[in-house]
Amino acid sequence: MNEPRKPRTGRIVATAAAYLITFVILFPLLWIALLSFQSNENILNRSFSLDDLSLANYRQATQTLNLLVMYKNTLILAFVSVTAGLVISFMAAFALTRMVFRTTRRRVQSSLRYYFLAGLAVPVYVLLFPVYRIDIALGLFGTHAALILPYIAVTIPFNILLLTGFLREFPEEIEQAALIDGVGLWGMAWKVVFPLMRPVLATLAILNVIYVWNEFPFAVTLINDPTLTTVSLGVSQFQGVYSVDYGAMMASATLVLVPQLVVYALFQRQVISGMTAGAIR
Amino acid sequence: MNWLTTRRQFTLMIAPAFLLYTVFMVYPILYSLYYSFTAFDGVSSPEFVGTENYRAMADDSAFWTSLRNTGVILGLSLLLLIPLAFLLAVLLSGQVKGSAVLRPLVFAPAIVAPILVGLVWIFILDPDIGLANAFLLAVGVPAQPQWIGGSTLSPYSVALVHLWQQIGFVVTIFYAGIRMLPREVLEASTLDGANRFQQLRHIVVPMLRETFGIVTALVVTGVFKVFELVYALTGGGPAHLSEVLVSYMYHITFTTQQYSYGMALAVVVFLIGAVASALTLAGMRRRAAAR
Repeated sequence: MNEPRKPRTGRIVATAAAYLITFVILFPLLWIALLSFQSNENILNRSFSLDDLSLANYRQATQTLNLLVMYKNTLILAFVSVTAGLVISFMAAFALTRMVFRTTRRRVQSSLRYYFLAGLAVPVYVLLFPVYRIDIALGLFGTHAALILPYIAVTIPFNILLLTGFLREFPEEIEQAALIDGVGLWGMAWKVVFPLMRPVLATLAILNVIYVWNEFPFAVTLINDPTLTTVSLGVSQFQGVYSVDYGAMMASATLVLVPQLVVYALFQRQVISGMTAGAIR
Repeated sequence: MNWLTTRRQFTLMIAPAFLLYTVFMVYPILYSLYYSFTAFDGVSSPEFVGTENYRAMADDSAFWTSLRNTGVILGLSLLLLIPLAFLLAVLLSGQVKGSAVLRPLVFAPAIVAPILVGLVWIFILDPDIGLANAFLLAVGVPAQPQWIGGSTLSPYSVALVHLWQQIGFVVTIFYAGIRMLPREVLEASTLDGANRFQQLRHIVVPMLRETFGIVTALVVTGVFKVFELVYALTGGGPAHLSEVLVSYMYHITFTTQQYSYGMALAVVVFLIGAVASALTLAGMRRRAAAR
């Protein structure tokens, strides 16, 4: 008789614990959203009352901030660098795994692969100052390209790791069949292999978009033109813009947080499987 | 069989990635290495000074503080993040109702920009306006600890926030690992009378060795990505007491414009990061081989 009851209490405790931990994890985000409706005096005096909520902070935030510029720039950066980065990485991964040429041996391919993968061990922060100098030297400073090129470069090692992993297991029969059909190199790469890599490419696209969207160190180093401000850069300026207006600061944070969480809610399944695939590979 | 191509075609395919990667990742490291042995003010041409920058680092107490703080964050991540995440993953993979809803919720902080995470946590940790101290007052504890901005607690607070941001990600990896365990083994052990705890201790944990290896590697390399939290929460202050290696390097290079000293710090960060990655990878390989 004891048998079925024991696991049941265990289950209740486990469920309660899981819900409690989840609530604790989510609390800071909820807290910001809640405080963003409070007056600055309430926040400063820490007299948080729920009866006097207003939208004043949001009016203040939307008047001072150029949220549209931030979002536009971040979208451009994400779209261009992720698309170009995936095409470039795919070309390299294809060459490293599927192309054999007469005069050289596999050694070239495998040492090039290690050359790219070594980048996985580089903390990007050590690149900041040299990349700043390179951008100046190449005349990229003050353009989107100043960020796009390093973003692509930084994502190449991981993209190549994942893509070469999958391309190695790509069935040769498909290639042979395509060969018999008279497909050239270009057609083989883009019309046969690329479409079949769609699941991996989607995973990488998600990971890369999240990276570019949240990227801060390069943006703060390489952007000094307010018209090029990105979302993460904008967030860092809230503290300066509203040095004492905490309510407006929280409303701004909420305005950035909510779209990010809504998009996440829509794609959470893919985001999570993408992140774990990235970790496990 | 592989596709037979010419060297020219191969070169064309690999050239864009090779060029971008070499110019923006490999060259910068060589650049840092070179400038770390010079005195360079950003205008006049660099002058070779040997290991002077590195010797200055040995005498720089702020460097040692930032190294220690990085170590504190690493230690707390290993001690708290991994066990807590594992526990939560076990809970969520059990028969918790609605675990399919809880998992994405737990993961949510991981997709929030770290700089925004820093901003959010100001409103909890700030000694004057934050929730933490308001809560202490409300429950009758008059102490108002300097969670951020003070001289002792800051690195621990940064570690806590880092842990908060990372936990959902680590939970998800553990969860994926637990789900991949062969069911029959667990069922057999239940029939043999093992309780949940014995199962965890003797079956789940040993079988998840590889997952623990991956998580450890991610936690170790993740510590070198803590920058925005420090930037937003404390700005490294007061007097560099809450600085981590990366934020201190940023401060030296861009705020005080001591470029060659900054590059020496960058080289040290690079070496520590590379050695840490290599060690964890080697450790993972050995574990995988031992299985």
